[in-house]
Amino acid sequence: MIVLDALLQGVLMGLLFALVALGLTIIFGMMDIVNFAHGEFLMIGMYTAYWTSLLLHVDPLIALPASAIVGMLLGLASYYCLVKYLLRGPIIAQLFGTFGLMLFLRYLAQFLFGIDYRIVQKGLLVGKTLSIGLFRFDWTKLSAAILSLIAFLFVYTLLHRTKLGKALRATALNREAANYMGIKTERMNALAWMIGGGTVGIAGGLIVNFWYVYPTVGLLFVMIAFASVAMGGFGSIKGAFFAGILIGIIEMLFPMFGHLTGWDFFGPHFKFTVVYFAYFVIVVLRPQGLFGWKH
Amino acid sequence: MEALRDAFDFRDFSKPERVGFAIFTLFLLAFPWLGAGSFVKAVAIQFLLFSLFGMGWNTIGGYGGQVELGKAQYVGIGAYTVALTMVWWKIPFWVSMPVGILIAIGYSFIIGYPLFRLKGHYFAIATICTSLVLQDIFINWKLVGAAKGIELPIHEHPDFLYMQFKSDTYYFYFIMALFYVAIFYMNWFRKSKLGFQLRMIKEDEEAAESLGIDARWCKIKAYSIASAFVAVGGGFLAVYNLYVDPYSVMDLDLSIKIALMSMLGGAGSMWGPIIGSGFLVPLDRFLGSWLGAQKGLIGVDFMIYAALIMIVSAYQPRGIWGIIEQFRKRGR
Repeated sequence: MIVLDALLQGVLMGLLFALVALGLTIIFGMMDIVNFAHGEFLMIGMYTAYWTSLLLHVDPLIALPASAIVGMLLGLASYYCLVKYLLRGPIIAQLFGTFGLMLFLRYLAQFLFGIDYRIVQKGLLVGKTLSIGLFRFDWTKLSAAILSLIAFLFVYTLLHRTKLGKALRATALNREAANYMGIKTERMNALAWMIGGGTVGIAGGLIVNFWYVYPTVGLLFVMIAFASVAMGGFGSIKGAFFAGILIGIIEMLFPMFGHLTGWDFFGPHFKFTVVYFAYFVIVVLRPQGLFGWKH
Repeated sequence: MEALRDAFDFRDFSKPERVGFAIFTLFLLAFPWLGAGSFVKAVAIQFLLFSLFGMGWNTIGGYGGQVELGKAQYVGIGAYTVALTMVWWKIPFWVSMPVGILIAIGYSFIIGYPLFRLKGHYFAIATICTSLVLQDIFINWKLVGAAKGIELPIHEHPDFLYMQFKSDTYYFYFIMALFYVAIFYMNWFRKSKLGFQLRMIKEDEEAAESLGIDARWCKIKAYSIASAFVAVGGGFLAVYNLYVDPYSVMDLDLSIKIALMSMLGGAGSMWGPIIGSGFLVPLDRFLGSWLGAQKGLIGVDFMIYAALIMIVSAYQPRGIWGIIEQFRKRGR
């Protein structure tokens, strides 16, 4: 029973991890660049929702569009001001370029908002729980999971059912050929960054309902996102979805396992260690990931 | 003998480089007597330490072209070996440091073997992961002090065996000696067979393999050399700070700084890591202490630092040494 409960909680958390990983995997699939600043985009999305709800006295869930728009603008700005130039350089410059962006955003947030841990205290759903049979769900987590599922499906449809999505995928598969076909690849790159920033902004707006926000919150989430993207295969959207859920389940079941067996090693303080370890093992044994389509 | 001759042979450098290096050496020798304050001395020690780290990283990251972002775990291994053996069994520094190096090399082979199946981004993130896993283990491992870390026993009198001195001057000369050993080693390394093999792998791995170079094995060897360098620095850090905790010696930020300094100075060149750390360490320290004193400006130093990183990686990925070489070519 308790295991099943943890499993369901894991799935809820996993849907959010999947949404965080979505932007990362789209950007990687498009231009083979790993965005270290992804977690900081999330942090900015969290702060946006937090401040909008606090200053305008609205529910954090209503502030969601604000997070999405800020995320999109952030993605666009970082593409046109930085990533465009990084793409010309070697891989090490790309890694450090986005790493610099990460540090910049993190310390900008620290400068503007201080290092305090902040959490949304008022809201329609904060603190309320839903009981179905013997299971109890926090409304905040449940709604966040449902909304992230909707956002995920929306982006998936956008990529697979529209002409724009077709152009995006064509660019990811073969940039030169797409260019010959009259697709403006430069604009597609910017679009990928916009979608990436937007989705992670939404994820931030959802997570802030039940998670503390502080300037370095991004690192944990970006490592989880790296792990889910690697598990699912870099560039694979379906993969990011299932891997995100898988990581959510691992992260919930692992402490449960320790609780049941009584082994200290399987304690909650190691739940993210196991995610990093899983990344390492999966990437070494199966570099293309579980659903990899591009290696 | 041949190797020793190669290590001390600087003839293939240009004249300005040799003269600059000689002046720099004299300056370092005289440095503690120039009346610098304790803060400046501490910055100088940091500079030499990070140059040592950077030179180590340069073997795999610069010459080998592998983006390695997990060097902090070896700093941690070196530091913890020295600290723990000293606390538990009172083993002198001169015994525990080589042991730390051996442990770091052994560990690097174990980690490196699966790690070097990976390339590019996969490799970079995997190195971060291994480092984070080790840090998490040390944070929660009660035997080694967990998150609190361990303090080294302080000796009343200066002790050469345990490397405990009252004055920073001794530490300065000690790290300077290590720094020069590293320089001579690197001077040999870049002319060695492994050095040439690594550069070939960096240029074109498939071509290198087709010429019979075992790319993976070469990378593992270079990785363990880099780890040994970094572990030496870690051991020094333990006796210098007299305090070791997982956040100060195993943090991701440390790994990044090590790689970043080499890249900023110019990865894959002899002087790159030294220039990089000579530029970034003082900037980091002075900006930090200057801005930290002002109220409400916390974090601005890191923002400047970050902006610098972005500008360098966007416009001159070959770093400061790349800029210098460009000017030299234009002048010719």
